[in-house]
Amino acid sequence: MTTMHKPLIGTSYRRREDARLTTGFGQFIADIPVANALHAKFVRSDRAHARIRRIDVARARALPGVAAVLTGEDIREVIPSLPNRSTQPLLPAHYPRHWPLAVGKVRFHGEPVAVVVAEDKYVAADAAELVEIDYEDLPVVTDPEAALKPDAPILHEGMENNIIFEMTLTGGFTPEEQAANAREVDAIFAAAPHTLSRRFRVHRCGVTPLETRGVVADWTRSGLRVWMSTQRPHIDRLVFSDLFAIPQNMVHVSAPQDQGGAFGVKAPVYREPIMIVHLTRLLGRPVRWIESREEHLMAVSQERDQIHDLEIAADDEGRILALRDRILADNGDSCEGVFWGFVMPFYGAAMVPNGYAIPKCDIHVRAVATNKSALSPARAFGTLPGRFAVDRMIDILARKLGKDPAEVRRLNILRELPHVSPTGVHYDYSDYLKVWDKLIETVDLAGFRREQAAARAEGRHIGIGFGTSVHASGVASVALVPMEGQPGYGSATVKIDSRGTVTVLEGDAPQGQGHETAMSQVVADMLGVDPEAVIVRVGDSVATPFASGTFGARGGSYTASAVALAAKALRSKLARIALHDARRNEEPDSVTFAGGKLIAGDGNPLTTFADIAERVIMRPLDLPEGMDASLEHTAFFEADFPMMSYDAVAVKVEADPETGRFRILDVTVAADVGNIINPQIVEGQTHGGIVQGLSNAMFEEFVYDANGIQLSSTLEAYKIANAADVPPMHVVHANTPCRHTPLGTRGMGEGTPGPVPGALVNAICDALAPFAVEIDSLPIRPDRLWQALRAASAG
Amino acid sequence: MAQTIRVVVNGRTVERSVPERMLLVDFIRDELGLTGTHQGCTYEGVCGACTVHLNGEAVKSCMMLAVQADGEEITTIEGLARDGALHPVQKAFNEHHALQCGYCTSGMIMNAVDFLRTTPAPTEAEIRHALIGNICRCTGYQNIVAAVAAAAAAMRARAAE
Repeated sequence: MTTMHKPLIGTSYRRREDARLTTGFGQFIADIPVANALHAKFVRSDRAHARIRRIDVARARALPGVAAVLTGEDIREVIPSLPNRSTQPLLPAHYPRHWPLAVGKVRFHGEPVAVVVAEDKYVAADAAELVEIDYEDLPVVTDPEAALKPDAPILHEGMENNIIFEMTLTGGFTPEEQAANAREVDAIFAAAPHTLSRRFRVHRCGVTPLETRGVVADWTRSGLRVWMSTQRPHIDRLVFSDLFAIPQNMVHVSAPQDQGGAFGVKAPVYREPIMIVHLTRLLGRPVRWIESREEHLMAVSQERDQIHDLEIAADDEGRILALRDRILADNGDSCEGVFWGFVMPFYGAAMVPNGYAIPKCDIHVRAVATNKSALSPARAFGTLPGRFAVDRMIDILARKLGKDPAEVRRLNILRELPHVSPTGVHYDYSDYLKVWDKLIETVDLAGFRREQAAARAEGRHIGIGFGTSVHASGVASVALVPMEGQPGYGSATVKIDSRGTVTVLEGDAPQGQGHETAMSQVVADMLGVDPEAVIVRVGDSVATPFASGTFGARGGSYTASAVALAAKALRSKLARIALHDARRNEEPDSVTFAGGKLIAGDGNPLTTFADIAERVIMRPLDLPEGMDASLEHTAFFEADFPMMSYDAVAVKVEADPETGRFRILDVTVAADVGNIINPQIVEGQTHGGIVQGLSNAMFEEFVYDANGIQLSSTLEAYKIANAADVPPMHVVHANTPCRHTPLGTRGMGEGTPGPVPGALVNAICDALAPFAVEIDSLPIRPDRLWQALRAASAG
Repeated sequence: MAQTIRVVVNGRTVERSVPERMLLVDFIRDELGLTGTHQGCTYEGVCGACTVHLNGEAVKSCMMLAVQADGEEITTIEGLARDGALHPVQKAFNEHHALQCGYCTSGMIMNAVDFLRTTPAPTEAEIRHALIGNICRCTGYQNIVAAVAAAAAAMRARAAE
């Protein structure tokens, strides 16, 4: 029966989640019914930096239906402040002390100042309007360079300046080693035939998901029960346990089965869930908070926002000899558990060398507090500005040398893998050049150059631009422990019940990645069962083994590996028992699991999967010696080496030198994501990442005025790309199976947006090369391009 | 101030007393428990996740009061499949992987169904333009556009039978 052996891994098995999601029967955080719940509404600061003189809550409290109104003064002695031991990474930094509600002063427009709890959300909104806050304005600083000046207002008490985090990532661990490295870099620059120096700036934008945040919490005698939008329910459980001094085994946190996207935003430990837990403890009733879009855009979702003063030294052919980068991140108020704003620019700095063979680097990053919302994680985690800077610089170098940017880029792509970057990041074995060449072949670069020349002769300006990205395929414990104080291993439990149905339990909390489908494919292949009959349960801190959560492309790398290991252990056990029962002496590996049957090496069926499951669990007699009746296996997977995925992107555009308008013709991504579990899911996530990169580059921008007032707190003002804004996309692969995972898979999707803005701007500059236009900052829009064209023609 | 309204929702008549200021989306979700209709932008009418049919036409249910639906007919995503058979648009969304997190999906499908009713043979540009009122953050739209085109073709084929 060879037809039964057709593997599901590697096929575009239709997503199992869709049956409920296309019919309205998904269950998101706002859909979870909780009887007798009170509704919370936060009152947020309407100014950027001010001392709180007085808060009058009397009128709000008096409104019928209001259960409580609390301010910072009500909680500062009751709830421990952050940082605490479960929210502080091991990196040396200033971790500003803060509570869920502002205490003493506010530091950004949108900071929670008070909270109202009422019988329904309309009453809560009414009462919130009645809270009167008397502020004394303080000087505001909204620019990271201004925040560094000696006379700048200092945001946080006990600090002498606004520098939250500062690190040299190259040369070693002591100042002496780093200085020696910097001198070597200086010497290379002094001797190099070509040096370039530019300032690149990427504005504040992020990947706000369509579903905002939400929490429902219920503190009862049996413990604390929390449902919340989160990427990391086990971490939240740990934090609540620590903060509220309740044993972890009495805290039960669940991420909903369905979450409306996250892209990083739902990973940190924020103020609001802590407050909601305090409120249910205080009031003895369930309390519910569903964030509004305005709150979400003002308080979280803001990332990127880095300045790179980048210099490179190169030889005559375009080979980069050394790189120097001084990075300044606008870190906002920096009050955000686990990430503190700066973890993203820190990681971004570590990834500046990307997949390029740069022998020597001198990279220094600073993250500075300003009166803005703290940076919060967004897909491409801290790396997008550095990608933009380096990929733009390679094109500028190519122009200087009179070469095709594709040629110069290829010259610099890493050939020797595995590799440890100058910042100490380990890249596992892959073939980046194969990916690059696949990209060039797919976009038909030679043909495009002919087309471009012909178009120019007709007065039309088309161009092509490239970007590349080495990005996380999960984050190994060796990296995650110092960075976030948390482990990176993957974990999963596979359970077979006495009727032979299979359940997978994973402690991560996916938000659209299709884990139910992908993990079912893995289990179905390993155990030979119907994937439709596999149940995958996610995000429940009680039912599932401890896990760090869904982020950093951990699903296809770490979690799928743990699922495979757990299924493999059970398979081996079942095979041994089936052979034992049949009085056969073969190796367990000789048994095939397919079509719900166990088949011996000679092709004879041994038993069915359902029968052997029942036999082991319900009739545990005459088992092989030393074996028990458990058909539940929990596996933890830690890779031997940190793993990476790789993307190379090409964008084609047509630009109009008269008006600055440009149109994207298409986008192509070539990638190495290792062995693929589900090609349709991989392609879909790649499409989404491309559009997030384009939308960041062209549309999205968090805008603050000079007083730190946010002007982009609606989706009208914070424009996200829609269906008519986006070009056709092509996704191709040149995969190298990962050597460190049982299935050869890699995690993918996390870094996809990163190289897209650089590729887009490179394409525009390529199209307009006859006009010598150079764009070094984002966002890129027709008005900015027109100004750059005017400057170039004046120039 | 409360007012009694009678609305036909997914074929069934419901009569409720609701506050005058209650939004239609809250009535659908909180009063009727039909949580397939989502909210992504808190009453701006920008994201489209709350799209339902009012007398067969796609509307954003966050932009209306419940009392304005008095005497009208509403279909939500839960009422789209008939007699257990999925609508061709629902099927096509699965086949073409037109959803990831699924949060925009209800509104996207309800909008697409209305669009195909008036435009049975759309071009790709027409599909893209028809969807500008629905934000999707996961898919990059390409597979959504493909799904709507495929559903249109399937519906035309069925009509021709």
